Amino acid sequence: MDQSVNDSEPLQQPAPPRGSTNHQITAIMSADSLERLAVAGKGDSTRTLLRVIILLLIAGAAISSRLFSVIRFESIIHEFDPWFNFRATKYLVANGFYKFWDWFDDRTWHPLGRVTGGTLYPGLMVTSGVIYHALRALSIPVDIRNVCVLLAPAFSGLTAYAAYLLTNEMTPSSSAGLLAAIFMGIAPGYISRSVAGSYDNEAIAIFLLVFTFYLWIKALKLGSMLWGALCALFYGYMVASWGGYAFITCLLPLHAFVLICMGRYSTRLYVSYTSWYALGTLASMQIPFVGFLPVKTSEHMPALGIFGFLQLLAFLDYVRSAIPSRQFQTFLWVFAGSVFGIGLTGLVIATSAGYIAPWGGRFYSLWDTGYAKIHIPIIASVSEHQPTAWPAFFFDLNMLIWLLPAGIYLCYQKLADEHVFVIVYALFGSYFAGVMVRLMLTLTPVVCVAAAIALSTILDTYLKAKSPIPEEHLVEEPTDGTSKKVSKPGLRASSKPYIGIYATFSKVTVAGAMTAYLLMFVAHCTWVTSNAYSSPSVVLASRMPDGSQHIIDDYREAYQWLRQNTKDDAKIMSWWDYGYQIGGMADRPTLVDNNTWNNTHIATVGKAMASREEVSYPIMRQHEVDYILVVFGGLLGYSGDDINKFLWMVRIAEGIWPDEVKEREFFTPRGEYRVDAGATDTMKNSLMYKMSYHNYNNLFPPGQAQDRVRGVRLPDDGGPVLNSIEEAFTSENWIIRIYKVKDLDNLGRDHASASAFERGQKKKKVIKKKGPRVLRVD
Amino acid sequence: MKTSAVFSAVLSLLSLASTSSAHGHHHHHHKHSDSGTSSASVPPAFTPPQVFKNVNLVHIVSLEKNYVKESINVVIENIDKEAQSDYILPFTNEQLSRLGGLEVRDRKNAESGPFIVEPVKIELFGPNQYVRVRLPTPLAAGAQQTLGITYYLLSAYKPLPATIKQEEQQFLSYSFSAYCPSVYTTSKQKTEVKFASTNIPDYTKLPGSGDIKEFPQKQGSKLVYGPFDEKPAGALEPVQVRFEFNKPLIHVSHLERDIEISHWGGNVAFEERYDLEHRGANLSSLFNRVKWQQSQYYNPVTHALKEMKFPLRVGSADPYYTDVIGNVSTSRFRSNKREALLEIKPRYPLFGGWKYPFTIGWNSDAKNFLRKTATGGFVLNVPFLEGPKQAEGVEYEQVVVRLILPEGAENVKWTTGIPKSSISEAGVQIHKTFLDTIGRTALVIKGRNLVDDFRDRDLTVTYDYPLSAVLRKPIVVFSSAMTVFVSLWLLSLINLKFTPKK
Amino acid sequence: MRWLPALLSASLFAAGSFAAKKSSEERFAEFHAKQTSHAPVKLTDVSFKSLTTAPRDYSVAVILTALDARYGCQLCREFQPEWELLSKSWVKGDKSAESRLVFGSLDFGDGRETFMGFGLQTAPVLFFFPPTAGPHAAASPEPIRYDFTNGPVPAEMMHSWLVRHLDGRPHPPVKRPVDYLKWAVSFTMITGSLTGVYVLWPYVVPVIQNRNVWAAFTLIAILLFTSGHMFNQIRKVPYVANNPRGGVSYFAAGFQNQYGMETQVVAALYGILSFAAISLAVKVPRIADPRSQVITVWAWSGIILVVYSFLLSVFRVKNAGYPFYLPPFM
Repeated sequence: MDQSVNDSEPLQQPAPPRGSTNHQITAIMSADSLERLAVAGKGDSTRTLLRVIILLLIAGAAISSRLFSVIRFESIIHEFDPWFNFRATKYLVANGFYKFWDWFDDRTWHPLGRVTGGTLYPGLMVTSGVIYHALRALSIPVDIRNVCVLLAPAFSGLTAYAAYLLTNEMTPSSSAGLLAAIFMGIAPGYISRSVAGSYDNEAIAIFLLVFTFYLWIKALKLGSMLWGALCALFYGYMVASWGGYAFITCLLPLHAFVLICMGRYSTRLYVSYTSWYALGTLASMQIPFVGFLPVKTSEHMPALGIFGFLQLLAFLDYVRSAIPSRQFQTFLWVFAGSVFGIGLTGLVIATSAGYIAPWGGRFYSLWDTGYAKIHIPIIASVSEHQPTAWPAFFFDLNMLIWLLPAGIYLCYQKLADEHVFVIVYALFGSYFAGVMVRLMLTLTPVVCVAAAIALSTILDTYLKAKSPIPEEHLVEEPTDGTSKKVSKPGLRASSKPYIGIYATFSKVTVAGAMTAYLLMFVAHCTWVTSNAYSSPSVVLASRMPDGSQHIIDDYREAYQWLRQNTKDDAKIMSWWDYGYQIGGMADRPTLVDNNTWNNTHIATVGKAMASREEVSYPIMRQHEVDYILVVFGGLLGYSGDDINKFLWMVRIAEGIWPDEVKEREFFTPRGEYRVDAGATDTMKNSLMYKMSYHNYNNLFPPGQAQDRVRGVRLPDDGGPVLNSIEEAFTSENWIIRIYKVKDLDNLGRDHASASAFERGQKKKKVIKKKGPRVLRVD
Repeated sequence: MKTSAVFSAVLSLLSLASTSSAHGHHHHHHKHSDSGTSSASVPPAFTPPQVFKNVNLVHIVSLEKNYVKESINVVIENIDKEAQSDYILPFTNEQLSRLGGLEVRDRKNAESGPFIVEPVKIELFGPNQYVRVRLPTPLAAGAQQTLGITYYLLSAYKPLPATIKQEEQQFLSYSFSAYCPSVYTTSKQKTEVKFASTNIPDYTKLPGSGDIKEFPQKQGSKLVYGPFDEKPAGALEPVQVRFEFNKPLIHVSHLERDIEISHWGGNVAFEERYDLEHRGANLSSLFNRVKWQQSQYYNPVTHALKEMKFPLRVGSADPYYTDVIGNVSTSRFRSNKREALLEIKPRYPLFGGWKYPFTIGWNSDAKNFLRKTATGGFVLNVPFLEGPKQAEGVEYEQVVVRLILPEGAENVKWTTGIPKSSISEAGVQIHKTFLDTIGRTALVIKGRNLVDDFRDRDLTVTYDYPLSAVLRKPIVVFSSAMTVFVSLWLLSLINLKFTPKK
Repeated sequence: MRWLPALLSASLFAAGSFAAKKSSEERFAEFHAKQTSHAPVKLTDVSFKSLTTAPRDYSVAVILTALDARYGCQLCREFQPEWELLSKSWVKGDKSAESRLVFGSLDFGDGRETFMGFGLQTAPVLFFFPPTAGPHAAASPEPIRYDFTNGPVPAEMMHSWLVRHLDGRPHPPVKRPVDYLKWAVSFTMITGSLTGVYVLWPYVVPVIQNRNVWAAFTLIAILLFTSGHMFNQIRKVPYVANNPRGGVSYFAAGFQNQYGMETQVVAALYGILSFAAISLAVKVPRIADPRSQVITVWAWSGIILVVYSFLLSVFRVKNAGYPFYLPPFM
């Protein structure tokens, strides 16, 4: 999982887009120029050559547009989850595959540990491991980090190619594929998860997704077992790579089901589906993390159900072909339908009876959108599980978002099996993307395909060199009876016969406009990528007054300090967002991390953070915590800090200890969430609050202490006092603050009195220094 | 039962002694057969023959840097019947492990190179070790010669107090002998101790002699013990000094320095990996950022390490500064006609007991270092040691210099200005990297206990690089690429389709 | 918050003075009688005071709510039926009143003083008064408070919350009554529709098989989803909002949120744009008359330009510093 939501997201500062734009423009332009050439009709080989060159250019554009972060910052792993994947990859490379397969990691989830080998999707690590060893074999001494950083861009090139293949299955127009490829290559919706350094499962999963779909369509069209098997193979790879494989697992049966309902059952469907399902399921069950889920959980039931239903249909089909009789047929269809219904009810019963596991929380929350918020705050708390506001769609897809419906409409024109697939995919893809921001990723491919279909149709129409002659059409117009009959199954729009564009001027207008929009699209993508998606959130960039870039590197400063100056097995307690980073960069054991498999453990940390010291200290002792790490943006105005995430800690803790942690008590009677003088006592006494603001107001002249995130002035009462922990390190800009958990007092006092005693001593000393004014009556 | 245990322990000890000492002795025989102690399996303790006398000795202990530099200027006289060529220096076992850069020269004629210096490999368990200085020309009976002996002692100080506050000053203590340790009678000697500052709170006082009533005499930032009158061989007078040293104690426990020469690129690439730690007084209370930030307004002298300056050779280019978790942005590089100065800051200020390993690297044009000889060979001349130039000095416990020559470079020979006594081992290895087939020739030299005084000492390497080796790589790459294409073409001819038979 | 109990007890003294003549036993009998007839007991300031006066050997769970429409408390109205269901099923489930729990609901209209007394700024709030006497007497008389910070809660969750504070006493479960009417209605509906389908089958088939219908359906759905309709569903955003300057703002400031109307506008823009694209791609090349064709081409191109430029300007409102724009909406 990614990081928690914080109530105020930072808005990207605009900066002039630079670098690598021209690549993309050339690619687009050449895509257009291909139309002309294609229309002009050179030799077949010339076209192939052109196509290859253009595809290469597109791949180049796709890759280069993802290198902003490397150019601007460095070759570094981004954000949160990638740090775990990186660590796992290093482990794989160091210890070999089998050790990796049964890797028990005792440096996370202390003291529980984690059966990492069995609870991750190994596809990503194995892929980069293989690449690494291959390069080594060629005696190219590449650093594993660079392999990981550049994996996503490399695969994005492949994704573009896969989109090209998929689209070519949809339409005869040769330009559509190339357009889809370039769209796929530079659409921010995909770039957001595949810039250099974002070394996450999605990096390879999207390629696998698109390619699997391509193979599925291919198999369906040819009814070929070979393609079906290939499809299953890549499906297996997909399962090994990303939890999102469930999307395929549900979409393909859905497609099959729709086809059946449209009365398009065919042996092609039968062959392709059965071969895919049988082999694919076997393949997927090889992954330890998946294991027997494909036959146990509801997510996978549709696939199984359709599989059974297809067998039935095949049988009936055979019988029908044997006994041609009207009534018999109808009877058979009724029979089939009823069997399907019975099967469905049976499934429901089995689920309710508990033979089949009900929908998993994260998956279920896609349907019952209110579910997570009430029952699983840990899922609701993740920023990428939030619903999508419309600007996000436009931000990530720009003009494609309004080309999508057009493309879908065109799919309705000649409604072949593959078009049905695109329609179904688009429908469900857009639904899921609307429910969860992160699923924008699964929507993007179909948007690119559909948009490419629409745009290529337009361009093909308006870039045809030869114009029709008006007269003949005019005469045949009235006596045009054929089209009526033809139009029966088709769409109204396409009922009339196709003529073409007469005026060159209108051709120029439309073609010119479209080209302009395309260029703008390219500019948009570049701008979005460079501004929104290219910052490795580990390193923050700020602009100096003179416009020069200033790097704020507090995270790594603190992690490096931990790594070098604490003992090797010092347990670090922090909110789960930073678990993976601490594991990866500081190389120290953590209590909780972004693999949020144990809600109770996270709630424990939440409780420790949200309670008074006297409550937290025993908890931390029990978990052998040596250091506590908090993120505090108050000095810099960095809004992604722990105080902004604090409410989630409270909620999650409240879910387990409703009587000890109460969210209400962190709100003022007027229901405000305050950190200044008006904050509630519970807030002021909570460990998190104390750790964030401890010693902070000494940085300012008296009474001037200010929190630049919450934009409030802090009370001038010497700041919170810590007894059972002490400040160990604070990064340059105060973003990371590390505290050391004190050992038990040697005199057996409780920490409060002990440190009170200490302070008393200090005060006396000070007064002694001051001189005669010691007449204090205590 | 107890006794038996002890006994067995002693036995094992002895056996160990015999074996290794036998080996040691054997070795020793090869070198020169004249000093023929009996070749028994358990040798008697080595007693240096009393053939010399230190007529006059000045011992200068310099505590100005974060390592100790001791230099002994001594006039020796041969008091034996026949000519002698072996002058023996005593060190304690523990000293020897921290001793580096031992050099002995003739004071009279400076241009004569350093004498051969080698440890006497006989004593194994004794507290004392001996080092033999071989005079190039044996000293005739009754003749005199002036030796200049210099050496360095690493990690020599003890911070006192051991823990201090962030803003407090750091004091170090060092103990040594007021009489210069020698295996010979010393007629006249004195010991000067130099400090970085005049603040020397306490030091051992000795009863004076002659018109001086008390040693030492304090002259500014300098203490002088002596002059003392005649002392017998092995006479010691332990003294301790405690002095202010408010600078970081930079200790590089391990330095790997890679120098890669590319003839194709005409480039020399340097990379240095430091394991750096601060051996000074630890913090008594944990790091306090507020205090630190406030103190930084008026930039005071502090015992924390904030910055390091690497003066590189002029013409060095595109430097980088990284650590385990990636690039470190806090560095500046000033490069122009006159200088190429790399200034780096650690991610966090380094206090006593804190570590900060990091890596720096840079490129330089090959013609600054490499030249072709008349005979077609190549001569490479690089500094053995670069690295930070700090006022307080830097000490290196272990240094590994890897000189990676191009693939196929032959008969490698090398010389260096670093004292031989500090080179622990050297050899030629194979290093496989970018598209190598047989791997590159790598000269690996390991040094120990070096200090930044040796920054300017050169490492000169000569090697041959035949044309065949030059052309190997392009040929290999080209041919392999061809094979790939051809095989691909062949594969494309195979038809995988299932075609239904007509 | 600290001064609350003090004030509370102060206010309770007043009540206590006249409520004192009734013993806690009698009061419970009285209120239990009420709630057996109709749970939860509808309280007023006075009855609330007498009910919650210490000493009491019974527990009280009161919802302080504001059901009247003019307070516009959506949450109150959503929770009320759940609360009634819970109290009813509890009282039914525990006829002999072993749990000694009284359910009450106090509306703001009847209980202003009480609201004042607690210094409540928000509604609904649920107070649980533990017994101060008897076997389950709690340490402090002050009530335990439940805030609906996570929106409306089902009766079951509220039940479990109560159960946590009522250990050692019977906890009759929540019984959702079977709504026979609903069942009957739905049954008749289904059968009716089935028969209807059967009868109208020949007429239904063309509709089902009509691509235009399906196309329209799909496109509308997609437009809804891609214009953030699900966000509205989940976050329950307002349709429009009043901006501080008194006017009405149709577009929410900020990238992360939106208003209902906003999304409809956007959906419409998308719809127009894609329809224009479709016409350019499909309709125009089928126009036989050159003149009208040229005109339509221009028309559609113009529409695309204008609408797209408007869309961009709207987007610039959402994302300050978005550099791109098209004429005419600069």
